[in-house]
Amino acid sequence: MDKADPFIRARGIGKHFGGVTALADVDMDIREGEVLALLGDNGAGKSTFVKVLAGAHQQNEGVLEVAGRSVVFASPQDAAGSGIATIFQELALSDNLTVTENIFLGRELTTKVAGFPILRRAEMRRRAIALLQELEAHIPDPDRPVAGLSGGQRQAVAICRALNINARLVIMDEPTAALAVAETRKVLTLVRRLAERGCAVVLISHNIADVMAVADRMIVFRRGRKIAETTRPDTHAEELVSFITGAHPSLRVLEQAH
Amino acid sequence: MKNPHHRSLLLLATLWLVMLLIFVLIRPAILQLSMAESVLHFSSMLALVGLGQALLILSGAGMDISVGGMVSLTAILTMMAVQAGVPAALIPLLALVIGLCLGLVNGVLVISCRLLSLIATLGTMFAYGGLALALTGGATVSGVPGWLLPWGRGTLLGIPAHFLTTVMPAYLIAAAVLALTPLGRWILAMGNNERSARLVGIPVGRIRFILYGVSGLLSGLAALISLAWFGSGRPDIGTNMELESLAAVLLGGVAIAGGRGGVGGVLAAVLLVVGLQAGLQYLNISSSWQLGVVGLLLILALLSDRLPWRFAKRV
Ligand SMILES: Nc1ncnc2c1ncn2[C@@H]1O[C@H](COP(=O)(O)OP(=O)(O)OP(=O)(O)O)[C@@H](O)[C@H]1O
Ligand SMILES: [Mg+2]
Repeated sequence: MDKADPFIRARGIGKHFGGVTALADVDMDIREGEVLALLGDNGAGKSTFVKVLAGAHQQNEGVLEVAGRSVVFASPQDAAGSGIATIFQELALSDNLTVTENIFLGRELTTKVAGFPILRRAEMRRRAIALLQELEAHIPDPDRPVAGLSGGQRQAVAICRALNINARLVIMDEPTAALAVAETRKVLTLVRRLAERGCAVVLISHNIADVMAVADRMIVFRRGRKIAETTRPDTHAEELVSFITGAHPSLRVLEQAH
Repeated sequence: MKNPHHRSLLLLATLWLVMLLIFVLIRPAILQLSMAESVLHFSSMLALVGLGQALLILSGAGMDISVGGMVSLTAILTMMAVQAGVPAALIPLLALVIGLCLGLVNGVLVISCRLLSLIATLGTMFAYGGLALALTGGATVSGVPGWLLPWGRGTLLGIPAHFLTTVMPAYLIAAAVLALTPLGRWILAMGNNERSARLVGIPVGRIRFILYGVSGLLSGLAALISLAWFGSGRPDIGTNMELESLAAVLLGGVAIAGGRGGVGGVLAAVLLVVGLQAGLQYLNISSSWQLGVVGLLLILALLSDRLPWRFAKRV
């Protein structure tokens, strides 16, 4: 793969739920080492788009290429196999399981004993601690159920999950939505750290300040369509807001076209 | 008690103590070794059925109301097959296979057809139980070979043979799977939060389908015990087992919504339920009253899950 080639190349992605068009004709390139922010009003189609990337939904139209190869994901497993890890808006954590168990859920380390897969608890615990330290996530006890963790700590657990599968793309759907200022800052630091490790990061957020703080590139959705694409040096908060609300002058023409 | 699981186990231990105390106060003679042996004897079938029930509820698949119907129909169909000429040597295999198939029918209805588990298995409970009665006209079906009876009636080291050879291994295996294997983590994860389990790629539907099969298999095993014990197939042998198994599972600390609990508590609760019934029997209290008491226990178990929770919310 050429260095300049995007990790993900999506072309003409469309998705319908019954009569609702959630996505229409979306093109997108996603590059490694870059934080890409997806913006848009409620119901604009951001979550639906990343669910297609994550294998949680299948697109009705369009093609998806990962590292230059056309793929069809039947499940989040398939996507994970291609190096795509997703931290969903509804954090996919099980409250009743511990931090370590959540980090490894669905991808447990095992050894065969008499042909049966037996959990390697100590090894998983060791790796979980190492991952948490690498992220400088302050989680004192990896053996505690995640039920008692703060929002930021839960994000950290979810990010550890992604790192644990050696993801090349980490998708985060509103990771800071429920967080206070200090926790938000920690999560944004984690986001930058992921990109510096060479991961591609897709970040969905309604918070323009967060986006301006961490994103290299921004894409705005409106009513299931991609209506704007820009980079941090080329834009400013007000412009992004006007794209999101549909007030930007360039959008008038578009609205008439559809 | 913050941890609801500890709270349910505490309730269970309390009930055990209260029961023993009451029986001792009323009739001390009740506490004898032969009583313990007969409680174990009566416990096997309920323990097996309750194990399947517990695994289903833990996984969030809902409950299996049809367990009693499966036990009755499996016992009847097995013996009818033998009367129709199938070699008696195949009885054990037959019971397991028939139980498994009946369980998988539930799996198809609940998982593939997406029916509500409560309603679907209520339907099969009447279908299976009704079929067992209809096929026999209510009469028992004889023809259990003599070689099977010692297993159903004998003891080893003071423990009933069938308890030793079915209940103990089944619970040990289930406990090991839950504690030591990925499947165990997955069952607890999907019982707690089905959506997130699906998102991390746990095959929720497939596992629950298999667990319905396991519930059927264990019901088949319970039916086999009944054959070896009574020497004939009884069309009403599984009556009330849905109530008793639910009471045992919930008293045993398994959360009705899934995701919390273990099988050790369930076995202790099975012994409690059976011990209580045996004790009441000993005191010559009719079986209708016994059933009522089990119903009360079920409600108590549900309340223990709920009451402190609402209280905590108000504070
Ligand atoms: N599973 C589904 N079934 C039916 N409609 C859906 C489903 N998921 C999303 N939609 C619809 O698709 C459209 C896009 O929704 P989506 O969740 O992608 O929006 P979003 O941009 O993530 O919004 P938000 O910012 O509120 O999270 C909405 O109209 C939504 O109602
Ligand atoms: Mg969304």
